[in-house]
Amino acid sequence: MADRRTRGMTGTEPSRTTAARAAAIAEQLHHECALLLELFRKKESLSPDLTVADGRLVTVPPPSSQLDTRDKLWRLHSALLQCRSLLERAITKEEEELGGAEKGDYQSQRKTVRDRLSLLLANTGELLKATDGTAVLTPSLEGLEIDGPTILFEVKLWIYRIFKELDYWTKTAITTLQGLPSVTAKERGRTTAVRRRRSTRR
Amino acid sequence: CIMCIYITLNYLFLTVCLCVHVFFFFSVPTVPQQVSLSPNLETQQLTLSWLGGESTTFDIMILRTELNETVFYETVSVTADKISGQHQWNWTSVEPLECTSLSVQIRSRDGQTTSDWSDTHILPGMDLPSNKDSQMFPQDRVVSVGTNTTFCCIVEEGLGFGSIRYRDLVMNVTRLSRRSYAMTQINQGPSGVTGTNVFCSSDEKTLLNGAVVFVGYPPLPSDLVCETHDLVSAVCQWNRGRDTHLYGKKRKTYYTLNGRYFTHTHTHTFMNQKWSACSLAQWDGNFTLVARNLLGQYSLTDSSELSLRVRPVAPANLTSVVRAWNATLLWQWKHRGYDSLALICQVELTSHWHTTTRTFSGVGLRSVIVLDLRPDEDYSIKVRCGVQQNFWNWGDWSGPLAFRTSIDIPDAPDVWMWIERDNTGRLMWKPLTHRESHGQITGYEVTLWSPDENIQHTETLPQSICTVPINLTHISTTGSSSNKVIATVIAKNAAGVSPPASIVMPLRWTDPPAVSRTAYMDGGFPLSWQSDANASCGYVVEWHDASCQQDCAVEWIKVAAENTNISAQSENFQPGVRYTLSLYSCSSEVPQLLQRWEGYMEELVPSSSVPHLSSNQQDSNIKLSWGEIPLVSRRGFLLGYHIYLNNGSQLMLLANVSDPTSRSYTVKGLPVGSYKFTVKAYTSAGEDTGATVSISLESYNNILFSIVARVKKAFYPDIPEPKLAGDWSRTQGPLDVKPSPHSMVHIVEEPEWDSSKEALVVIPEEDEDEDETGDEPVDTDEPTSLRYYNQVIDDRPIRPRFPDSSASSASSLDSARTDVTYTGIQTSGNSLGYRPQMQPGSLSQDMASFGGYQPQCSWHLDSPVEAEESGGLAPSLGSPTSVASTQFLLPDSGSKEQPEGKGQGSSSATTWFHNLLSSAKP
Repeated sequence: MADRRTRGMTGTEPSRTTAARAAAIAEQLHHECALLLELFRKKESLSPDLTVADGRLVTVPPPSSQLDTRDKLWRLHSALLQCRSLLERAITKEEEELGGAEKGDYQSQRKTVRDRLSLLLANTGELLKATDGTAVLTPSLEGLEIDGPTILFEVKLWIYRIFKELDYWTKTAITTLQGLPSVTAKERGRTTAVRRRRSTRR
Repeated sequence: CIMCIYITLNYLFLTVCLCVHVFFFFSVPTVPQQVSLSPNLETQQLTLSWLGGESTTFDIMILRTELNETVFYETVSVTADKISGQHQWNWTSVEPLECTSLSVQIRSRDGQTTSDWSDTHILPGMDLPSNKDSQMFPQDRVVSVGTNTTFCCIVEEGLGFGSIRYRDLVMNVTRLSRRSYAMTQINQGPSGVTGTNVFCSSDEKTLLNGAVVFVGYPPLPSDLVCETHDLVSAVCQWNRGRDTHLYGKKRKTYYTLNGRYFTHTHTHTFMNQKWSACSLAQWDGNFTLVARNLLGQYSLTDSSELSLRVRPVAPANLTSVVRAWNATLLWQWKHRGYDSLALICQVELTSHWHTTTRTFSGVGLRSVIVLDLRPDEDYSIKVRCGVQQNFWNWGDWSGPLAFRTSIDIPDAPDVWMWIERDNTGRLMWKPLTHRESHGQITGYEVTLWSPDENIQHTETLPQSICTVPINLTHISTTGSSSNKVIATVIAKNAAGVSPPASIVMPLRWTDPPAVSRTAYMDGGFPLSWQSDANASCGYVVEWHDASCQQDCAVEWIKVAAENTNISAQSENFQPGVRYTLSLYSCSSEVPQLLQRWEGYMEELVPSSSVPHLSSNQQDSNIKLSWGEIPLVSRRGFLLGYHIYLNNGSQLMLLANVSDPTSRSYTVKGLPVGSYKFTVKAYTSAGEDTGATVSISLESYNNILFSIVARVKKAFYPDIPEPKLAGDWSRTQGPLDVKPSPHSMVHIVEEPEWDSSKEALVVIPEEDEDEDETGDEPVDTDEPTSLRYYNQVIDDRPIRPRFPDSSASSASSLDSARTDVTYTGIQTSGNSLGYRPQMQPGSLSQDMASFGGYQPQCSWHLDSPVEAEESGGLAPSLGSPTSVASTQFLLPDSGSKEQPEGKGQGSSSATTWFHNLLSSAKP
């Protein structure tokens, strides 16, 4: 996938509040993703002892320790954007091809995950904007297998893999967001404050 | 061709040749030529075609190529197509044709003679080495419920096969080739929404591939009905019938109505059935619905004239013009055709969760007047209509319209009166209910008018007031020569004043007639009476708690003149409460009290025992006397008293005094000894817990000399009662002697008993247990333990106006404590300055714990303030007596030297001393 990001001014430190909030949302989303995967497996009688081979659907530049905060955020944001595109396509395809008129726990959880992902993206976008100082460009979805397969079993596997991909990237999001300097500094600040209080008591 | 060559080269063997030739010509069928295979992967059908000469019978052999296993080997009859000369035969495979390669050979057969096999023709499977990936067949198959489906899994090159699962059930498999495995699911049940999954996994439990099968039903709709709303178009609806279990755009059911395809139908659920509806622009008398899905189709028809199927739309834009007692409801129709349509409409009116329906009709109906509404009420209203002629169905309800009716003047209040013995009275009326108020009541106006004197007095009262006291005495003494006054009440609200409600009040109390009893049944007191000619406006039945003395809660009901019986019902009736029910005639004059009843909703046992139970020896007999149980404690109509001999552990019934007015009973023929008697009053519900008194019969001389009374600290002075000397029947003092230990049986055994030498010793009893524990009475002056009561002591306010006050004022003590009570002792009325045993400032507290000898403070007028306020309205109490020189001043009763709860001895000693002094008087 082509990198369409415009490199600009040197990034500033992302807002502590936004970063912490984004990390919290990612944690919540990760929990909801796990539940969605469980509901999907149950709905499709996919036995827990069966292993489904992973297949990456999201394409972003490889991780590197050389990436600065801005690049890490952009990579994460891009991946989550792709996840949302895939998720929305998966929902549409599932409802069209497999019938999704019923309103059950699975459908409800699927909507929850979609909404939460949008919220997370809004927060990562805000962080990016704060870091970059420019408007966040939408990463290209070129090359993304957005249409999905036609054979229904493969459609189901595709949907499952999208959920797994989202699960993977929410985990990555937690790590990335919690590792942002602002969040780390905040945590450090908290720790220092606690130490100060303790020492004061002494 | 071979035969010809043979003949040519072997001329010498012509005969043999001919024989062979003859055999060949008649017996060897032609080997099938130009064999071709045409697979239909969806139906798993393989079409074989070949040229087979004249033969009509063929052997067909189908093998799985890789393992050379026979799948099919049969002889079939196939005739050649007359035009092309080709033979064609179809074979349906159990397994999908992709599962593995199949080899096909055909030979002609003529009886037992067969041709050679044709060349092998192979239908290549998807398990060829060139297709390395794992695969599964069939994919996305749609089948009917109950059918069998065989799936095969082709394992990825290089991986080992693990299992095939149908949903999560591991299936038995058949190996079809090196990489292909098959299993069959028989009698499949319906799938879920997203189909049934079949999983193929490797020996390492990695998912290799899978397939989805959709198991469902063909559509089976029903109940096609078409109707029109706008008098032009048709709206048809049908029951979708059973769930096909087939969802998704490729598998769902599609419908056509009169050949028109509907991509979307309006669907709703009614009575747990799913219904669909769609519209046609024009009414076409005949309608055909076709439902299709991948498993089949189903047709329904309906036909009707338009005029027979008119169901009006819901009335739109409801508005109202609201008044107090009615409202005009208006609405609009969306379609002009309704203007000339004869309609019948239902108006549903809801108020306070109560719904009524009213029906109206008219051509093009679009407004109605809804009558019989109530003022100041919230209503919700909705409308629906149908056609009057050829009624088909009600149309949809309109949306609800809420409104509140206007206010109006209130109804006249229901007025009644209450006259006390002292000629004071109360004018009462029932608070107007919301339905009677017709708007928020702002107040009442009460007018008293003396018709003779034409004196009128008007008073305005707030809406919270519904009773006013009226001093009839004052009215009667201020110039009116009439014996009545007319009271009028009107209620007021923002709309105006109610019609006046009047009642003629007498200026004087009239004695009630004889009281009869009425028994509560079926939720009320049944009352009946003789018709009264003067009752021009009917009757009033009034009732109240019979024991109530002041400001009683009075209920009443007005009865029409033609009725002479009712059941008096009230949710306020309580068990154990005596109610007085009175019947008054209603006329233009003062209501006349015609009849009076008393009754209990439910009789209970008395809540207290007979008060002031005492025993007294009269010659050789013992006379038991007691007081009257207060009305409020009777809790039923007293039927009499049971007299028991109490031996400490059990009661022996001596007598049943069936006269409830009786206050004494004489036990005769008892020998010398000690006795305890228990008296229990009883109602229809049973007897009370009983009051007990003890008595010991001894020689009179012995009494005087053997009494050892110890007065430890204090005495209660006797109120002088000169008539008591020698008259034991009126004044009894507790003599502090121990009762004889004789039991009843022992006493009976004593043969001699000289009554002239015997005297009565009364031993107050706390209860039976204490009787046995107290060997020696303990002297004490503690007032609460003296148990010396005066008959007229009453800690309640005196209520002289109440008819039964004299009866109820006799006792205020808990007679269940079974104290010996002296009925002949008078209360000192001038005890204001004489309370030697009272702690200063502790009057009210002592009064509250009233349980001892406190004659000086038992009168409520002891309080100077109260005395002043009540204006000396307690003449029924004992007349004040002066402080006699014989009375003793009592020291502090709260001395710590007194053991708690051991006052019996002191009481007895004190009382004895009191009696002794009294009896010594001339």
